Amino acid sequence: MKRKHSYIPWIYSFPALLLIGIIIVFPILYTGFISLTNMNLFHWMNYKVIGLGNYVRALSKINSGFFAALMTTILWTAINMVLQIVLAFFIALGLNAPGLKLKRLYKTLLMFPWAMPAYVSILLWRVGIYNTEFGLLNKIAVMLGQPKVNFLSENIPAFLSCLVLNLWMALPFMIMMIDGALQSIDRSYYESAVMDGAGFMKKNIYITVPCIRPVIAPAVILTTFTTFKQFDIIYLLTMQKGSYTGATLQTVITYAHQNAFVSNNYGLSSAVSIVIFGIILLFSIFTNKSVKEEEANEKV
Amino acid sequence: MKKYRMKKTIGYIALNIVFILLCLAGLIPILYAISLAFSKSGSALSSGLFLLPKNPTLENFRKILFEEPFFVWLKNSVILSVGTMVIAMTVSVEAAYAFSRFRFRGRRSALKMLLLLNAFPQILSMFAIFRLYKIMHLLNLHLGLILIYAGSMCIFGIWNMKGYFDTIPIEIEEASKIDGAGNLKMLVKIILPLARPAIIVTSVMVIIFVWNEYLFATTFMLQENSYSLAGGLYQLQADDYGRNWSIFSAAAILVSVPVLIIFFCIQKYMVSGLTAGGVKG
Amino acid sequence: MKKIVSLILCVLLIFGGLTGCDSKSKQGTTGSNPTKVPDAQQQSESEPTDAALAKPVELKIWHDADEAIMAVIQNRVNETLKDDKISVIFEKKTGLTDQLKLYGTDTANGPDMYFYAQDSIGMFAEMGILTPITDLISEDAMSDLLPMTLEAGTYKSVKYQLPVYFETLLFMYNKDLWKGEIPSTTEDLYDYMVTNTDIDAGTYAVLNQHSTAYNVAPFINGFGGYIINADVQPGLNLQATKEAVAYNQKFSKLQADGDYNTVGTLFNEGKASAIIGGPWLISGMKNTTIKLGFKSLADFKLPNGKSLVPYSGVQGFSVLKYTAESKKDAIAKVLITLAGTKVAIDIAKLSNCAPANNKAYDDADVAANEMIVAMKKTADTARPMPNIPQLSVMWVPMESFLAAVNKSGEDIDASADKYQQEALTAIADMQ
Repeated sequence: MKRKHSYIPWIYSFPALLLIGIIIVFPILYTGFISLTNMNLFHWMNYKVIGLGNYVRALSKINSGFFAALMTTILWTAINMVLQIVLAFFIALGLNAPGLKLKRLYKTLLMFPWAMPAYVSILLWRVGIYNTEFGLLNKIAVMLGQPKVNFLSENIPAFLSCLVLNLWMALPFMIMMIDGALQSIDRSYYESAVMDGAGFMKKNIYITVPCIRPVIAPAVILTTFTTFKQFDIIYLLTMQKGSYTGATLQTVITYAHQNAFVSNNYGLSSAVSIVIFGIILLFSIFTNKSVKEEEANEKV
Repeated sequence: MKKYRMKKTIGYIALNIVFILLCLAGLIPILYAISLAFSKSGSALSSGLFLLPKNPTLENFRKILFEEPFFVWLKNSVILSVGTMVIAMTVSVEAAYAFSRFRFRGRRSALKMLLLLNAFPQILSMFAIFRLYKIMHLLNLHLGLILIYAGSMCIFGIWNMKGYFDTIPIEIEEASKIDGAGNLKMLVKIILPLARPAIIVTSVMVIIFVWNEYLFATTFMLQENSYSLAGGLYQLQADDYGRNWSIFSAAAILVSVPVLIIFFCIQKYMVSGLTAGGVKG
Repeated sequence: MKKIVSLILCVLLIFGGLTGCDSKSKQGTTGSNPTKVPDAQQQSESEPTDAALAKPVELKIWHDADEAIMAVIQNRVNETLKDDKISVIFEKKTGLTDQLKLYGTDTANGPDMYFYAQDSIGMFAEMGILTPITDLISEDAMSDLLPMTLEAGTYKSVKYQLPVYFETLLFMYNKDLWKGEIPSTTEDLYDYMVTNTDIDAGTYAVLNQHSTAYNVAPFINGFGGYIINADVQPGLNLQATKEAVAYNQKFSKLQADGDYNTVGTLFNEGKASAIIGGPWLISGMKNTTIKLGFKSLADFKLPNGKSLVPYSGVQGFSVLKYTAESKKDAIAKVLITLAGTKVAIDIAKLSNCAPANNKAYDDADVAANEMIVAMKKTADTARPMPNIPQLSVMWVPMESFLAAVNKSGEDIDASADKYQQEALTAIADMQ
């Protein structure tokens, strides 16, 4: 392939890299710098570099509570991703079934959750679905003669409630990605497969999945990060000021928020941010490895 | 043959039923918002029937459309999302093309680097960007916000489109190369049409991201007249104590509708050039 | 050769495309949008105006309050200072305190003053972005203001806030639903709740946001406990605080989930006879036909013989440091107007606010306003919310503690120790 002129690709990607440098890399470096200072309420404008002290304090926050939060986050990410991919795959397949006349309408309606600003949806779910007095779920419960349930007051129901909401909010994107990827499959593959007598399952396992895999892999990886970083849902549903529900569900990010960010100690919270960034990097290198192994297996 | 057709019809009906149920299930919270938007009382919810507001009224829509600078916000949202889309797509299509088509030193590690950079929670960047923008005098300008959005969506764009570009057979390009087309011409004339679904999906993703973003929009824009829709709505109704749920829901629905219209319209074009044009044939 | 030419073309195209978009979007922002205009205005404003007071001065004030109340204040101030060519403009900022952390030192974009409750005074004073009010106006100009409201905005013996109105929790009841007299002890109130609450049917006697720190504070303060004291000591595991939380828990069992939206809606729909809440609830009741009655929380006696002691939140104006230099005279005039009786009577009559200005209560209409009178009565015993910066980190542990006890049924002693520890860590993290 094209090997000559190794500077050409860099020129092509220069504008993108410049933009990323300003908007993404610079803030990370700046956060790194602040983490070395004592910038806080009491040294707001007259802060100075104090070295690695904040990191010592940040690492002391990695205790049992942090590990619990990390486990919750990993569980949260894994369950979410599996459900999202499986559900979105079948829905997208259905949408691409030949002869489905209303598919444009269905697709549009299915996108609705995505079209709303996230905080609006979350608040609507909190009062409209999960609320103990007026939530739809409890209205149905009362109609069926069941006692009212407080969905958000204990960790496991709260986790599931957040999970359902996250699926609701994230599925449209995944459906759209997989739907787009399905378009990239050459129809002639299916034609020859049908001629060979392949059924629905076989077609999917041997043609659809392998074909869309490389196309949706980036989206899946990026969504994994987004899910890992998810803050709004858990925060707004269970721990907004004045609306604590009693669940003590914490993810890495909410844990950091509660332990470092409310303090207005920018030096410390920057150090915590960098530490968390490091943990996410480790996490992603780990997943990257497993992806690679899978790839290697495939080639064999 | 008859049996086959019957089976097909049943399957078709079943599929439609499944999708109708699915849409309904997905729309329940939205229907709730719609019923709130048409209801008179401004409170969270009546304990009455769920989906039917008593005395439906358009008052809430009138209030949000005409008593608030709704159309100014709408225009700002359009400027922001179109501006972001143009910049983000221009830069990331080229980068994605480079990462997909060229094999050069540092390619894999650059790609991986980008992915890792994406792992940094963006909310933490706020303070740093603020400092930078203050020096560059980009605060309070839509351009500043557009750059933030474009930068944040760039990595997604590159990765997402690169994945799709990879599926386009290189032979097509080589053929046109013999015809004497330059790299950029090839990108515009051949790759872009072939990768249409990916381009559209990515563009829509960028637009929706910008359309619904409110935190940066309200932090970096200071005048009421320069807010985007999501930002304006956030300023208006973010606080539990002052929130009028009916107006809040009406506004939320009005914010979502343009996105849905765009979505409905672009679907025609979502078919790949590969399959539709039969270039490969 | 061909390749080099195409390469150059590529680069040109890329940049052409980029800059093309840039200038387009720039045009979009400036051409069709007024963002630029106020910008320029600000710049001319930030030049010293002392010399020429004839030049109009516009002061920008950020707030995160009810816009209707702000409009009342704005109208009165602008009318009074018309001849001085001084005007104020209010801009609503959600997340005001976070915004001020960014813009509090930004002369070009930040506000001249802001309007907020007193609990953030200590934080901004420590950050060094505020000017003491007494640098601008004399103590005499504030002599009509209630001492409690002035005390609320005083941090380390310096006044940073000009109080305008204050809020406390009240006992509000639906006159059509409440049976008989309002009890005067919390025990009698509890007995009334026991007989008149049917949780399964969704009807309640008295509602309270039972897991919100601000709403439980009347009990905690009444029992002699505290959330945090002036010596920056959190008091979550004090015996008195624990007793209060236990006492509040007893009530919470007969109250709906303490979420603001839930309790507000239940009361507005007539599913609850009474609610403990602040004046901010009133705007939500506009569309209802409820005949509201009020009773001061100070009129309820706890089993220990003491009254309930709610927090008071004092809403007022603070002046940013960078602005005070350049617009000293204009700001002083605005502050004197804000401290005056006219603004006070306006906000009491038009917005049901309890003014900080003591003289406003001599007005017949104000004296006849049941809610304002009830709040004024509470003001004598209410405790101003602490304004030390450390309060800002107390809400998370305190409310987690309340939610753990009331909603998850955790043991009070264990939770108190756990969250006291969290509070101590949070306070230590600030340094």
